[in-house]
Amino acid sequence: MNFAVVGSQFFPLLINGLALGFIYVLVSVGYTMVYGVLRLINFANSEIFMLGTFATSIVSTTVFKFNIDSHPSHGMKLLLVLLCCLLASMVTSAVVAVLVELIAYRRLRTKGANRLGSLISAIGTSIVLSEGVRILTHSIPVASPRVLSKFYVFKIHGVGLRIDQMLTIVFGFILFFAVDRFVTKTRLGKAIRAVSMSEENSRLMGINLNRVISLTFLIGGLVTGAAAFMYMTVYEQTVFNVGFNIGIAAFTAAVLGGIGNLRGAFYGGLALGLAEEFFSVLLGSQWKEITVFVVLVLVLLLRPNGLFGEAVQQTRV
Amino acid sequence: MNLTTKRTLGVVAAVAISFGSVVATSAQAAPKSVTLAFESPLTGSEAGLGQDELLGTQTALYEYNLTNPTVKVNLLTADDQADSSQSPGVALGLAQNKAVIGVVGSCCSGATKAAFPAFKAGRLTVISPSATNATLTDPKSSVNGFPFFHRVAATDAFQGPALARYANKGITSPKDYLIDDASTYGAGLKALSTPSLKKAGVSIVGSDTVIAPATDYSATASKVVASHANVVIYFGYYSDAGKLKKALDLAGYKGAYASGDGTDDLGYITSAGKESAQGTLITSQSVPFELAAPASVLADFTKATKLASPASHAYVTQAYNATNVFLQCIKEGHTTRSSIQSCVATETFTDVTGAKFNFTRYGDIAQGAPVGAYIVKDNDIIPVGNA
Repeated sequence: MNFAVVGSQFFPLLINGLALGFIYVLVSVGYTMVYGVLRLINFANSEIFMLGTFATSIVSTTVFKFNIDSHPSHGMKLLLVLLCCLLASMVTSAVVAVLVELIAYRRLRTKGANRLGSLISAIGTSIVLSEGVRILTHSIPVASPRVLSKFYVFKIHGVGLRIDQMLTIVFGFILFFAVDRFVTKTRLGKAIRAVSMSEENSRLMGINLNRVISLTFLIGGLVTGAAAFMYMTVYEQTVFNVGFNIGIAAFTAAVLGGIGNLRGAFYGGLALGLAEEFFSVLLGSQWKEITVFVVLVLVLLLRPNGLFGEAVQQTRV
Repeated sequence: MNLTTKRTLGVVAAVAISFGSVVATSAQAAPKSVTLAFESPLTGSEAGLGQDELLGTQTALYEYNLTNPTVKVNLLTADDQADSSQSPGVALGLAQNKAVIGVVGSCCSGATKAAFPAFKAGRLTVISPSATNATLTDPKSSVNGFPFFHRVAATDAFQGPALARYANKGITSPKDYLIDDASTYGAGLKALSTPSLKKAGVSIVGSDTVIAPATDYSATASKVVASHANVVIYFGYYSDAGKLKKALDLAGYKGAYASGDGTDDLGYITSAGKESAQGTLITSQSVPFELAAPASVLADFTKATKLASPASHAYVTQAYNATNVFLQCIKEGHTTRSSIQSCVATETFTDVTGAKFNFTRYGDIAQGAPVGAYIVKDNDIIPVGNA
């Protein structure tokens, strides 16, 4: 165990882990919200994320003409580019999420199909989206030219916070907080929570079920799209199967925190991001995934509903 | 007509019929066309390597067809994505295709090794332009490709020491950090470089294995910074080599960065970003085609591929040489799998420079091959001599 490196690199590892963790948090919000209302793992969420990363890349390279020889932007142009990329990513992911619900899930749900049917439909949708992009891109990774110069916002004794990491952490926190407030405080949010408690009672109370479910997919898509934008800002590269590893990690984070529980996704995502960073150093990078899943299994053995999960019957969004 | 005349005519007729049938049989045995397969990654994260090598094969075939040969050669391309889980299926398809008499490929050691059982079962001769893992032709290895596998590049037994030398050249008190991608190629090259580093007195301050493709190299970069290394050597392919270099720069690493021939692809500069990629040291068994080929062949390259120059396209020379081995055998009348195998194993061939070469019993070039040194400058990977 490499404790000496953990000691000397504690703050860089902490910041890297938090930045990665906030990306996981936002993607796992997409999983946990849909699970909350439909009791369905939306496997297509990883591809919704993937399409968001491509939208970011397409806007920077085709609309703003960034290429391998370009220099990062500054001032108002930088703000404009970042906002357009963020907007494109969020809108693309949200539109795809709503379409996925309409095409792949709604009819099965309204016709009272078996849950396994919805599960297969979710996996099928995920494969169709992923393979479609694979064919279009010939499986070749797409590197996104650097738009944002990665300077340090502050640096003390060699330890600092980079602008892309700061944006990811701050924006990730604000977005999560906004979604949490929306779900707990607004009328529409209360409708989502009502549906997650009891579909039947919500219908009797006059809640438009289809509208609430579409709204859930829309919010999940918007948040996942924001995560895709942040991923591209930090890592600057995507590929047709980028969503697979991120999706597995975010789903793991959701389960770790307690799937169906929004705040569980928050703590689960951060815990996973930090665990990946620190285990990579402590045991070697090749052990990262093994240790993360061993920790997950141990947590589930002790707390079957995750760290912050409630019993399934009581699950709340 | 007397009896003697009748007998004579009978013998003549019998000889004529026999001769005719022999001629007819020979005509049937010599096919009008045969198929060579080209197997390499044509899509996927390492597609650049396969697409570059295809240029060499296309040039050799273009020149062969200009000679108006009796036996036409068709080219069948097969995409293994440099993925050892995909190449067995691709190889099986080629082995079952009776028209295919030889395979140029694969570029990458892991995919090549995984394809051996299918090629052996189909008794199909394979010549790789760039699969350099030493075990592929090691008689002591249980997974070598004998007697069907051959290659026209130096093995990593040569590249390992060359990479160790080149990465540390001109650095006083070098402290190396070694990172591999857990692939057959990457782990193998690391194992073959390490003894040379130790022998040269280089201090190895750390080692890590990151299973590729990976997203986040920040933890590895932190470890490198903490180790105070001044040389990092990455043993793997260009896509992840670029991601690692970018993470190292962001973590504040200022030392040298070197990698092997898996990184000898312009996709590395795209992956790392132009600024980050500058000064990266690369060793490669690839011989620049624009330096090795005579003007007439370079003109044929342009006609065959519609590209102005082969510069910056790796392993074109080796793919050209590998394809010409098969084409020479076909010209000599070897058009079945078994006769191709015997021809490749026993005959002497001519490379693009005009030098003669033949294969050892286990499939390596008997005369050896050089390992080149390269450096990334602007948007290009520039040769700077031998490593």
